[in-house]
Amino acid sequence: MKLFIIEDDIVLRTELISLLESYNYSCETSDNFKNIITEAVDSNADLILLDINLPYYDGYHVCREIRKISDVPIMVVTSRNNDMDELMSMNLGADDFITKPYNIQILLARIAAILKRTNQKNYSSEVEYKGLTLSMAKSTVYYESKEAELTKNELRILSVLMQNANNIISRDDLMDELWQSDEFVDDNTLTVNVNRLRKKLEEIGAADFIKTKRGQGYMI
Amino acid sequence: MKLSSFLKDKILFLLAQTFIIIFLVLMLDVYRISLYARILICMTIVIISIVALAYEYLIRSRYYNRLNKTLESMEQKQYIASLLEEPNFAEAEVLCEILKHVTKAMNDEIASYKISQDEYREYIETWIHEIKIPISCIDLICQNNRNDITKKISEETVRVDSYIEQALYYARSKNVASDYSIRRLSLDSLVKAAVKKHSKQLIGCGAQVKLDSLDYTVYADEKWLDFIIGQIIANSIKYKKDALTLWFSASENQENIILSIKDNGIGISESDLGRVFEKGFTGENGRAFAKSTGIGLYLCKELCNKMYLGLEAQSSVGNGTTIHIIFPKDRQSFLQ
Repeated sequence: MKLFIIEDDIVLRTELISLLESYNYSCETSDNFKNIITEAVDSNADLILLDINLPYYDGYHVCREIRKISDVPIMVVTSRNNDMDELMSMNLGADDFITKPYNIQILLARIAAILKRTNQKNYSSEVEYKGLTLSMAKSTVYYESKEAELTKNELRILSVLMQNANNIISRDDLMDELWQSDEFVDDNTLTVNVNRLRKKLEEIGAADFIKTKRGQGYMI
Repeated sequence: MKLSSFLKDKILFLLAQTFIIIFLVLMLDVYRISLYARILICMTIVIISIVALAYEYLIRSRYYNRLNKTLESMEQKQYIASLLEEPNFAEAEVLCEILKHVTKAMNDEIASYKISQDEYREYIETWIHEIKIPISCIDLICQNNRNDITKKISEETVRVDSYIEQALYYARSKNVASDYSIRRLSLDSLVKAAVKKHSKQLIGCGAQVKLDSLDYTVYADEKWLDFIIGQIIANSIKYKKDALTLWFSASENQENIILSIKDNGIGISESDLGRVFEKGFTGENGRAFAKSTGIGLYLCKELCNKMYLGLEAQSSVGNGTTIHIIFPKDRQSFLQ
């Protein structure tokens, strides 16, 4: 999936790109704000992230001009936080609106949601690591021709761990991930969920897939 | 205008008239004019004077009474000059001229303060939007370099952000024009969104969150209400006793829908409870447990007042605090 980022703050842009790249999105950007509209459309991106305060033309103008020539999804990302801006963006054809400083999980979730909606055919909802395949759409995990069904919470936990393979994910981060989907679980529930998930993975042959890092969290 | 004060004003004229009449009587006596003729002349003068005075009094009192009535019925009395009637006697003309000048000067003064206040507010809003960019940068840098140090920095930026948000809403609550938009909101999704927004702090302190019967629709400004719930959550975290548990529940009676947010924190003493919504009030807890600015709940109250919502606190020491946000139903039917 390719994203085109229109943002004039260089530090923010660089960091945003490296974050998105770590989540397997390829990113493109440009400093040529005079011709940013053609640059953005010519990039053939799957989604455009658009700031409102820009040199030469503001984001509203850019948004309207892109809409005239292309149907590419546009997500407005801005630090201005009032209804007028949100209304303007939506009226000019933006697909979503998010304010800075954004919650990164929410940003990623919204990007994924838009991409899923607009690219239904070629949207890959499978993650693979060390022979273990996780199908997000079916909520099922496969390992060497065996499969196990996961509950909503187990699916969330495993997908976060797999997306951040080789990185330690703290219990707090996992819990936060579950909370983002309206499951306000406590510490005990998380332990129960992780243990059940481990058991299911063991049953299909992937024993010790999730490692415990004492005092720090879990890792795949 | 009272008759007595009018007559007091005319005392010199009355004395002069009396003197003239006495003088006339004496003079005519010298010329041996009959008593009846003298009485007739005197009476004529008296009657003419009375009629003239009465006319004068009527005109004045009518003018001033009307002016008084207009003034009383006005809400913003500084605009009285523009409602002045054109007077038909000299004193009032002078007074009206002065009044016009004075009110104009005053209104100019008020306008200049209004403009400077608006400009300041606009500056604050712009500043807040600008400061959010470096905060986003710090946040992203921390996300991209996850370790113990950046995690701590991340936690601090959350605090910075909450103070900034408070400043933004403070600026907005002082705005004379109401720049909020009342919409139909689901209490359930609103509470969930607010909890998610504060998930990191809540999880960080090992809090439990319990939601119960939030299946109601209310009318309010989404962002403002989100801010208010956020402030209440932040307070619960600040003043927790042991492991924090937060209960969100809603109930309905004949007039209102009530959202109750209950914690099991240290509670508020009876003497402080009545004053928690006052600006700058910190109370025993604010001084003893955490640095308190006395702004959070005051702002919540201000914003609630602007949206015509009720906000009440219920608490006792050691037994936690419950905050009720009250959504009146009559207002809802009015908005529907």
